[in-house]
Amino acid sequence: MLKSWKLKEVVLMSLFSVVFGIIYLLFLHAGNIWAGFIGPIAYEWIFGIWFIVSIICMYIIRKPGAAVISETIAAAVEVLLGNAVGPRLILAGVVQGLGAEAAFAATGYKKFNIWVLMLAGIGASIFSFVYGYFMGGFTVFSTGYVLLMLGLRIMSGALIAGVGGKAVVDGLLATGSLRGYAITRTAKGDARV
Amino acid sequence: MRVSDVIQFIDVSFRFPDEEKVILDHLSFSVKAGEKVVITGPSGSGKTTLLYLCNRLYPENCDGVMNGSLKLFDKESSKYAPGEVNHKIATVFQDPDAQFCMMTVEEELAFTLENLNIPREEMDGKIAAVLELTGLTDFRNAVIQQLSGGEKQRIATACALIMEPEVLLLDEPISHLDPYTGKKFISWLDELQQERALTVVAIEHRLDLWDGFFDREIVLESTNRVNELMTRESSIQGSQSLYVEAVHNDSFLKPVSFHLQKGEVAVLAGPNGSGKSTLLKALCQLIPAKGTVTPDRLGYVPQSPEFLFITKSVRDEIAFGGGTEVETLLERLYLQNVAEAHPFAVSHGQKRRVAIGAMLADGREIILMDEPTSGQDAASLSELYELIDERARQGTTFLIVTHDMEFASAIADSVLLMDEGQLTGKFNAESVWASEDLLTAHHLLKPKGGTPREVCFA
Amino acid sequence: MKSALHNMNPSVKFLIITICMFTLAFFFNPWTPLIVWIGVLLVQLLFSRINWKVWTLFMIPFVIMAFGYFWTTLVFAEEKTGPVVWTILNMEIREVLLNHALALSFRVLAFSGLSLLFALTTKPVSFILSLMQQMKLSPKIAYSILVGYQFLPVLKDEFVQIQQAHRLRGATQKGNIITRLLNMRKILLPMLAGAVRKSERAAFAMEARGFTGEKRTSFYHIIGIGKLDVYMAALFLMLLIVSCASSSFI
Ligand SMILES: Nc1ncnc2c1ncn2[C@@H]1O[C@H](COP(=O)(O)OP(=O)(O)OP(=O)(O)O)[C@@H](O)[C@H]1O
Ligand SMILES: Nc1ncnc2c1ncn2[C@@H]1O[C@H](COP(=O)(O)OP(=O)(O)OP(=O)(O)O)[C@@H](O)[C@H]1O
Ligand SMILES: [Mg+2]
Ligand SMILES: [Mg+2]
Repeated sequence: MLKSWKLKEVVLMSLFSVVFGIIYLLFLHAGNIWAGFIGPIAYEWIFGIWFIVSIICMYIIRKPGAAVISETIAAAVEVLLGNAVGPRLILAGVVQGLGAEAAFAATGYKKFNIWVLMLAGIGASIFSFVYGYFMGGFTVFSTGYVLLMLGLRIMSGALIAGVGGKAVVDGLLATGSLRGYAITRTAKGDARV
Repeated sequence: MRVSDVIQFIDVSFRFPDEEKVILDHLSFSVKAGEKVVITGPSGSGKTTLLYLCNRLYPENCDGVMNGSLKLFDKESSKYAPGEVNHKIATVFQDPDAQFCMMTVEEELAFTLENLNIPREEMDGKIAAVLELTGLTDFRNAVIQQLSGGEKQRIATACALIMEPEVLLLDEPISHLDPYTGKKFISWLDELQQERALTVVAIEHRLDLWDGFFDREIVLESTNRVNELMTRESSIQGSQSLYVEAVHNDSFLKPVSFHLQKGEVAVLAGPNGSGKSTLLKALCQLIPAKGTVTPDRLGYVPQSPEFLFITKSVRDEIAFGGGTEVETLLERLYLQNVAEAHPFAVSHGQKRRVAIGAMLADGREIILMDEPTSGQDAASLSELYELIDERARQGTTFLIVTHDMEFASAIADSVLLMDEGQLTGKFNAESVWASEDLLTAHHLLKPKGGTPREVCFA
Repeated sequence: MKSALHNMNPSVKFLIITICMFTLAFFFNPWTPLIVWIGVLLVQLLFSRINWKVWTLFMIPFVIMAFGYFWTTLVFAEEKTGPVVWTILNMEIREVLLNHALALSFRVLAFSGLSLLFALTTKPVSFILSLMQQMKLSPKIAYSILVGYQFLPVLKDEFVQIQQAHRLRGATQKGNIITRLLNMRKILLPMLAGAVRKSERAAFAMEARGFTGEKRTSFYHIIGIGKLDVYMAALFLMLLIVSCASSSFI
């Protein structure tokens, strides 16, 4: 999969993964405390944070795998720095990354407008929710509660990961430091939509 | 026996994407094995770009547009896998801060050996040998990030040599070295070249320092002939302007005290790693330091100019602090044709001039410059000289770190010497050039004076 | 002895901990995770030099989280059958549910204990090197992560540097907390931009040093597997068996 990648793209992806791995962990700790008071639903509305790196990397690099691999590395970094879920989190990272990747794959890695990015956020939300449903024992909660959680997560995925991820990259793009990556290479209109 | 071409450009043109300007225009030349070639041309003429084509980093990594045929070891460069040809072609880059990927010197060297699949048992020996050869044994476990500019540049050379390459590409290799170390570097490169029949392709503005090392010069664009720098008349205007009392830090810098007068141009010189950059940073309060500095608003041109940039174009960068002479400065610093470019996407020498221009435009009363001369062509140097001279006459005080002795002797009213974190003293410029002891103790060389700067292959 | 956990091969340690966790996921009773958690504490006490202050600091959020699982399970669960064992504030707590809640929260504790054990006794660099040497991780990814990881302190410097550059250029605005927070944006984006530029240069440097991304035959830092790993793995497996078996006795 990595054969067609330039080294500088791999390094960029890893760097973002490491940086966001740390941000993820900070939010996880904050979320844990928060969840202690109001239950697992506490995570749902900020859940989009945990998908952002896959969308940022894919939006910049635009090559198959950018979403899954970056999310997996970020999860691995979280494990390395210490968190409750442990190695299992890497699996969760793979699943979330696959969710985002699925949305990009569905468009043939051709379209990267705001809707596709939001769709990727939603994809990650749904994949991660299904995974969480079986792994996390949500089965014990009532259906209404579960649906509320899902709704919140989808919204958060679309807004925080999709819209937020795009905002971060567009800001970076304006600083001129993304020269030589796919995002500046594509037709001008596309990168700005 | 036919000596084969290691590098062959046939009608090569190159431009960056999104720019109309063609950097290299229908260029043809070839370099044979064992040759020593120097590439010259004014700052911004595309020398570094050319070197990046030779080690195959471009055009692939910048999406540049290349036409024509470029052969490395008789094979089209685009046919190599990334990193493959770099086993035989080693590079020392221009910017000391932009050429390392590992944390410590040892790891960086080991990384190179791993890439070449050298067996583990041989690694230690090879690392020790190359450090010995380059006189860097003490730096084996040093953290690269924490070395001085010149030290980094020497480490980069060691990293290139440990590959035992067939071709060595050098981008202004001595511009950050102190004069003595620079001299030693050249004679040692000479020995090495003869021993291993290395092919050397170097970029250099200052051929006079190389004593005919090169066989051949490839001129990318001819430089305007400029007049030799004349020793300037002192511009000191009585009153005091910069007071430095016992400035020091906990780790390296010993207490430093000196005064400069209004309009005074002082040069700060000393060996690599003696603490010149550290002192300037301490004066600007960029690093924690004790002692007093008055006044506290100083202009500062750092050794790595990118540090200063906060806007998106060269013009904005110079105009940032207000000031009315933006256009004049752009023109005088030869920046008008890159005025709209992003400050990070111009050549190394141009970046340095942008930083200088920004500080001059700001109208600071005291300006500290860290190696403003490094990587500048003769025309830029001469313009820099004029600018400093004018401003000094208007009352600006300058403290300039430089390894360029000709420039120093032409411009300096006084010379501050540093060694091992300590200020040796402030001297009258003439007396420094006259004292063998002072010069040797601080790795300096007596300026030739009188040799026109442009005499190279005449 | 005190360094056994630190000297273990990171990949082996990672695998064994993963096995423990997946096994735990199949046991839904309070005892198994509790025993694992206590076992992990003992192992750490005997075989590691970890800083217990740091450990406690990391553990606190997890304890709070475990408590959160505990009461939300009690309140929001659908299960409303079985004998009542407890009544507080007019709420009836049934035995099945209490077991459920305890199992969930002890599981959180056990998981966090295990992952903290890994995180606090493993050097990230060794882990990545070991993944490359033992688990055949692609060198392209492995070295890129190493480079990314080494950028962390650089990123911190960059943050300071950009602030300094702004100050030098006379661009700082003082003001209340809100304007300062808004100004943070002006620093964070350039910081990320600087990181992007640095990563590009690091990639250039790697390529110029002959890095092709192919599998390599020799390493400078060799991360090996030895007897110690066998012993420690056995120890963990024993702990796992004891804890799993306990569920059928108690
Ligand atoms: N990444 C880039 N994108 C666009 N233009 C660039 C980029 N890098 C350099 N340039 C432009 O290409 C030209 C040549 O740059 P190059 O770095 O090759 O010059 P140089 O001859 O090495 O100069 P110097 O002596 O100052 O180092 C410059 O005008 C510069 O503005
Ligand atoms: N960030 C840092 N942390 C720790 N030590 C440092 C750091 N930067 C520099 N040093 C050390 O301080 C000493 C002085 O470095 P400095 O950069 O001031 O030298 P310099 O005189 O400017 O040399 P050069 O001519 O090579 O630029 C060196 O020995 C260097 O290793
Ligand atoms: Mg150059
Ligand atoms: Mg310096």
